[in-house]
Amino acid sequence: MAGGAPPVAAPAGGRAVAPGERAVGWLASTDHKRTAAKVGVASIGFFGLSGLLALLMRAELAQPGLQLVSDNTYNELFSMHGSGMIFLFLTPAALGLGLYLVPLQVGAAEVAAPRLALGGFWLYLCGGLAMYSGFLTDSGAGKDTWTATIPLSNSTHSPGVGMDLWVIGVGLATLGTLLIALTILLTIVRLRAPGMTMLRLPVFSWTMLATTFMVLASFPVLIVAMGLLLAERHLGGVFTGATGSIAYQHLFWFYGHPVVYVMFFPFVGAVAEVVATFSRKRFFGYRALVLSLLVFTSLSMAVWGHHMFVTGAVQNQYFSLTSHLLAVPAGIEYLDLIATMIGGAILLRTPMLFALGFICQFLIGGLTGIIVASPPLDYHVNGSFFIVAHFHYTLFAGSFFGLLAGVHYWFPKATGAMLREGLGKLSFWLLAIGANLTFFPMFFLGFDGMARRVPDYAPRLGDLNLLASIGAGVIALGVLVFFANVWVSLRRRVPAGDDPWGAQTLEWATSSPPPRHNFTALPPVGSYAPLLDRREEAGASAPEGAVA
Amino acid sequence: MSRPWAPLLFWGCLQLILGAGLAAFDEVVPALLFLASAAPVLVLAAWNLVRPPRERPRRLPGLSVPVVLIAIGLAAAAIGLTAGLWLSLVGAEIFLFGAVWLGRELYEERRWAR
Amino acid sequence: MKSSRHDFSGLFSLYLWIGVGVALLVFAAVAFALIRYRAREGRTPSKRSEANALELGAAVLITAIVGFLVFRTFSTEAKEDDESPQAVRIDVTAFQWGWRFTYPGQGVSVIGNSNRQPTFAVPGDRPVSFALTSADVIHAFWIPEERFKRSAIPGRVNRFDLEFETPGHEEGLCSEYCGLRHSAMRFDVWVLSEESYERWLAARRR
Repeated sequence: MAGGAPPVAAPAGGRAVAPGERAVGWLASTDHKRTAAKVGVASIGFFGLSGLLALLMRAELAQPGLQLVSDNTYNELFSMHGSGMIFLFLTPAALGLGLYLVPLQVGAAEVAAPRLALGGFWLYLCGGLAMYSGFLTDSGAGKDTWTATIPLSNSTHSPGVGMDLWVIGVGLATLGTLLIALTILLTIVRLRAPGMTMLRLPVFSWTMLATTFMVLASFPVLIVAMGLLLAERHLGGVFTGATGSIAYQHLFWFYGHPVVYVMFFPFVGAVAEVVATFSRKRFFGYRALVLSLLVFTSLSMAVWGHHMFVTGAVQNQYFSLTSHLLAVPAGIEYLDLIATMIGGAILLRTPMLFALGFICQFLIGGLTGIIVASPPLDYHVNGSFFIVAHFHYTLFAGSFFGLLAGVHYWFPKATGAMLREGLGKLSFWLLAIGANLTFFPMFFLGFDGMARRVPDYAPRLGDLNLLASIGAGVIALGVLVFFANVWVSLRRRVPAGDDPWGAQTLEWATSSPPPRHNFTALPPVGSYAPLLDRREEAGASAPEGAVA
Repeated sequence: MSRPWAPLLFWGCLQLILGAGLAAFDEVVPALLFLASAAPVLVLAAWNLVRPPRERPRRLPGLSVPVVLIAIGLAAAAIGLTAGLWLSLVGAEIFLFGAVWLGRELYEERRWAR
Repeated sequence: MKSSRHDFSGLFSLYLWIGVGVALLVFAAVAFALIRYRAREGRTPSKRSEANALELGAAVLITAIVGFLVFRTFSTEAKEDDESPQAVRIDVTAFQWGWRFTYPGQGVSVIGNSNRQPTFAVPGDRPVSFALTSADVIHAFWIPEERFKRSAIPGRVNRFDLEFETPGHEEGLCSEYCGLRHSAMRFDVWVLSEESYERWLAARRR
């Protein structure tokens, strides 16, 4: 009997399955791996859609003047790009990664509340479809950015069904992802394998746990805010006057800041696992990391006012102080990542490349974040392309690279097939060059006076904009190469085996892909790197089945 | 440490401290919001401390169509708030159907466990 | 009161150079690790996985740096929050999608939108007191060359002082997304000598 969970009744096996049954089997399965796969596929779909919108935006911005789209269309493009990427891609992808991996990492046969996760997926999918269906309405898709500030988003200034669908869709998608996070939290609390105390949880699972705390604390607030916004649009009188506008911003950003950390921590966890595995060492500074994770995620709940510095309506000092303090736990995490590499035997496979890309590029986003933590500095760059550069360095050049590190690392486990190294490395370099070409110029554009959320700008800013647009094309190429890699690797499979990387955590102690109930047997758990322990005890210096 | 409530409690306490800081800076309403948000985590910590999970056999179906219906019904009902009352009614119907079905599914599982 | 641009430059340089320094340090450490500890025949990785003194030391060091930055930020912010009593006063009202600039007590008011961009003038080297609000949705008043912006919120007046040191023309724009013609919501500022400023006002007095 495997794992901390008692055995689950096995489904009847060994008979022929009709195609309709297979579809239902995928759509309504309680298997956390299938639910996570559905979340993954849906989030990739929304990534593709939202990415196309970004390419259209960059095509328009390549030159001064309005060439391709109208003002109105452009406003829909950037609003749905941002909304789609945050609500429908990166947040669900982060939680989906956890939904797939956490039971495997803790040695459980199943998540603690499989139906909650399944329901969560469907709510998220319906919410996303509702948001995007705004494009089919007369009034168009949501066009009040991803924040929908009052009074712009009320029925006077943004009438129409399209905006309503956006509000409802955001509420549904957020509720769905909240339920998935709750499932992950309950799994860690209740279903760890015998011997896996909290201080033997793998690093990735710790980052997932800390993430779920933020989700539980902040996502309900957004759902309430969306409900109130809908009431404001249909009944009025909810957010009145300046106090109402400011109150909405407090409610929104109370969610709006933690969510960017929800889109960060799982990926730093993935990067940590990759760095440890490809340095052939256990992760350095585990206890310091656990403490800094708890402090970091708690502190990240207390910084939201920095989005409101220029309103003059919040306590700038408090929020500036808390925002600056984020550098301390972040610094500890960076120290641990680098110290894991030092003294190791580093292999530069594709997952490791993406992990290194994350480490170097997220840093730029993080350091510019410290700049905007200072109100006098924020007074210049807020609302400009400097901010656009800052958060694309953290979310795209950072988190997205971290996601790809995790995908390349865990793809063999989930599918049983290896991804191609050559295509992987090519996609990495295209994405890295593209990301920096696109977003680095934006720091200068913003500093030089280019506001964000604009389809047109002063002619002197044309050259840097052209550079950024070319970079966007390179990114698109990199994404295509990645998809091609996935396609080719699934078509002409190279079998992965249980543990192709010589890794350290429990998910590598079962077949690839894992069976329905994850494990048939579990190795003893004496630390956060049980497989590494087992190898060290066996005295082997070469990792099992490592790719040479 | 095999006490999962410990990080939950620690985190919840950090939240209370940060919320108190907000109140000290005269941001009273945000402080209340902050403290309210710490509640789910603290409640979970308390629940885990007071009622640790018992290992007992669970029967779980491989599929759960009722849950899908509940989610889709709820979504349709919400979307109907703007798309039209008809959709809300259809959604509510699907939701109720799914809820009853799920109720029966859960009842079967409890019965098996006993 | 020193102009906001001056305060900004000093503070920004501090943050920028510390940031660049940290980035270079991290890149160097990563490069060092990759070169020195690349997998090689016979290389056995170290078993060391903890150094709590190091972690504590790093945390203390970062806290000190951050504390210093916070101190400098708070000092700068305190200066910027000062308001002078004998300043030139301008009331600014933002609306979808243009601006109105009124000089209370002077009988001068300038209004314009994207069809005819509005211009207002200020005397150089003297504090100018702004009272900013909006007639409809939230906008923001940004003069990039002054390194300063403030939100224009309907139902609320945001007050701030600016001191313009460099004579000549400066661009202004709305930096808070406010709907359809947000990108066209621009204005011009003329920083003039005292006499030119008085002449400018006189020409527009009604």
